[in-house]
This record gives sequence, C-alpha cells and structure tokens, in this order.
Amino acid sequence: MTASKPILADNLKQDRNPADHSESSTKARPATPATEVIVKIRNVYKYFGDLEVIKGVDLDVSVGEVVVIIGASGSGKSTLLRCINKLEDVTSGELVFDGLDLNDTKVDVNYVRTEVGMVFQHFNLFPHMTVLENVTLGPRKVRNIPAPEASKLGRELLEKVGLSDKADTYPGKLSGGQKQRVAIARSLALSPKVMLFDEPTSALDPELVGEVLMVMKQLAIEGMTMIVVTHEMGFAKEVADRVIFIDKGLIEEQGSPQQIFENPQSQRTRDFLSKVKTF
Amino acid sequence: MGFEFQFGVMWEALPELLKGAQLTIGIAFVGLLIGFFLGAAAGLAKTSRITILRRIAILYIETIRGTPIMVQVMFIYFGLPLLLGMRVDPFFAATSSIAINAGAYIAEIVRGAIESIENGQTEAGRSIGLTHMQNLLYVVWPQAFRRMLPPLGNQFIISVKDTALFVVIGIGELTRTGQEIIAVNFRAFEVWLAVGLVYLAITLTLSKLLSIAEKRMELT
Repeated sequence: MTASKPILADNLKQDRNPADHSESSTKARPATPATEVIVKIRNVYKYFGDLEVIKGVDLDVSVGEVVVIIGASGSGKSTLLRCINKLEDVTSGELVFDGLDLNDTKVDVNYVRTEVGMVFQHFNLFPHMTVLENVTLGPRKVRNIPAPEASKLGRELLEKVGLSDKADTYPGKLSGGQKQRVAIARSLALSPKVMLFDEPTSALDPELVGEVLMVMKQLAIEGMTMIVVTHEMGFAKEVADRVIFIDKGLIEEQGSPQQIFENPQSQRTRDFLSKVKTF
Repeated sequence: MGFEFQFGVMWEALPELLKGAQLTIGIAFVGLLIGFFLGAAAGLAKTSRITILRRIAILYIETIRGTPIMVQVMFIYFGLPLLLGMRVDPFFAATSSIAINAGAYIAEIVRGAIESIENGQTEAGRSIGLTHMQNLLYVVWPQAFRRMLPPLGNQFIISVKDTALFVVIGIGELTRTGQEIIAVNFRAFEVWLAVGLVYLAITLTLSKLLSIAEKRMELT
C-alpha cells in the first residue's frame, strides 16, 4: 500500500554501503564517520505531562553506524529511541529520518515504521500466530507480498537467526532468547534502513543473552545501521562505533567505546560506569 | 395435600413446548447474532480516539443497561407503533430487544477484552508498519476475541433466558407456551417443571458449544 507513495520513489536500499562500513567499523576510526546521515535529531525535547524526559538532545546517526546508548533507568534513552519510529511524538525539536521530517504531518508514519525496525525488551511477539506468521505478517500485509514469497523470505530470515526449525511453533513454546531472535527476524522482514533495539536482552535469563547479542553482532557486521539501548557493556565495547551516555535527558558524553570506557571525561559518566559491571 | 405428580402431563406437553422452544431459540439466535455485531461496533467505538463515536457508544450502553429489558420490548412493541403508525411484528420486537439489550452488554465485553491486550502488541504491530485498522484486525482482535468468549457465553445464556420476559407481548415462545398449556390443564407443577427443563437443555447445549469453541481457540 505504501508502494504508491511518492516518498518510496527514491531508491530503497541503494544508499546502503556495507563495504564502506566494514572498513569503517575498525575501532581506530573517528567517532562520527563522514558518511550520509540517516537519523538527525536536533534540540529534541520530550515531556510526559510536566515530566521532562528529554531535555534538548542533538544526535546524528550515519548509514552503517552502530550507536549504543547507555545510561541509568529513567534517563530518557528508551524514550529517545521510541521517538525515532514515532511510538512517541517529540514535544519540540527536529527529528529527521532519511530526509523525512517526522514532525511533518504529511509524512506517512506507517512508511517510516517499515523503514525503522524496532526490537522491544519484552519481544512483543504475536502469541496467536506461529513464528513464521509473526515474521511474514509485515511483508504480507504491509508490503503486499504474496504468501508463498513471504514464506520463503520468512524462512530465510529464520535461518539467519538460527531458528529455521521453529517456523511452525507458537511463541509460547520458545525461550526468551528464541523469542527475541524471532522478533529481530520479524523486524528484518521489512528490510528496514535502521534497526532500533530497546534493551533487547534485559528481560532474558543470563545464559540466553549471548545468542541474541550474536545475531545483533552479525547484523552490525553486515552493515545494518543500528541504535541500541542496552546495559550490555561488553556488546557496546565490542560492536559499537559510538557510545552515547545519556543522563537526566541529556547526552552527557559520547565517543568511541575506548574513549567512553577507558577514558571518560565527565564525572557522571565515571560514576555510572563504576556502578555497572563493565565487561 | 392430595397432590399427585403426573409424569404423563409433562410428556403430553412436550411437543407444544418444543415448538415454543424453537421460537425461543430463533429469537435468541437472530437477536444475539445482530447483538454481537452491534456490541462489537459499540465496543470498538468506545475504545476509539474519536470523541463523538465514544460519546454515542456511551449513550447507547448506559441507556440500555440502565432500563429493564421488559420496558424496552414493551416500548418497541406497544410504543413504537403509535409513532410509526403501523403494527410492529412481535418476532421483530422480540429479536430487536434481545439485539439492542445484549449489544449493550457485549459492547462492554468487547471493550474490556480489547483494552486487556497489552500495549506492546499494538506497538509491535504499528512498528512493522501496520495501519491502525490492520493492527486491530490481525493483531488485537484475534487475541481479544479469545478473551471475550467466556463472558460472551455468559451473556448468551442470560439473553436466552431473557426471552421468557417476552410473554408480555404475547409471542408464543417457550414460557408463553407453558402458560397456555396450564390455562387448559391446570397442572402448574408438571408444566413449569417441564418448561424449566427445556430451558436447561437449551442453555446446557449452548454452554457445551461455547466450551468447545474455547478449547479450539486455545493457544497451542
């Protein structure tokens, strides 16, 4: 249905450049690569009633970049993520995704959401559908891909996340780690330009965290643009191109994983890092 | 006392009672079918973001729940003809009373079930680009419907029994048929017992059908 919208007219996936990324993902490169910006956040504020959650954030995310956002609970990091796919509206400020101003009411929200994948802390799989149906719902209903083709795509994605044998299982029968991998496949089914991860491993038993991080790492290697809110400092250190520390609704400090973890400049960053188990 | 239970009376009354039961089932079935759609529409309207839809739904639900079904059917059967200048068919009066009455209760069942579906489900659906309607259709409704079944079953059974009140408009359903038989043979004990048993047969069958439906819809 969105296929007829003019915003889709510009090339779908051509601005992706994995080759560029593999080169740039070596840790030595500068924190902000000089590539095309896909998410642009300018002076964004978000209030819930009187509660000020985000207090003027600026952030650019480039194509192929993996940005990890860390910070204490209630610091506004999840809210910021949810603004990017319009699950929340910003109170003020500019939020541009792939050249589309998300505050512009003429921009089709549903289109933006197909291009911005979201993975939730609590998976939010559809319990009344099989794993394959979960993954193919978007392609079938949003992209209008015929069922056999959608199935084929779905099975490929399930193989990618290591769950091809679970296609006909219902989510209730899966472990947390498996559920989250299905949720990742469900998002990928729409070939989004950016993937958002909202504490994807926080609801998992410790022994199941690894399998999910593994899939995410693979995505990063393939050049997916990712914004990840997480408490997994190991993942941040290993996979992130840039780490952002958010405190009380503001970006307190950002930089390469080395800069943030080994040589944090701000006292608040140091305090936070000293309280979390780093690696 | 000298009362002597006559089983034969029940047996003799049965064919007539079953005819009445047919009408009872007919009224309940048509009324509930329409009532379900009415209730689903009103329930969805009450969860709508559009204020006017919400207000209309609330007005409907509160008015119908707040007045006796007996008053409703008499209003339709005896009151409306004065306004319309034409006779209202008793079957129409009975089925529309059930539909309108059950619809108001079903609306609350539907609303409750829809609101009970975790917000994360809607967020996940919207995140893959489903529109509001698609999300309702494919994600929320199928899950909500499972949760509706037990209270719906309750309402269906209540509505079947409510049809007994339609004796006031003289339609020949089960209770009315019982009254008519007693007017002839004066065997109130046997006939009311038989009437009760026929109602029980209907409601127990309905109960069984609903529990089969619930089992079938259970998540595997």
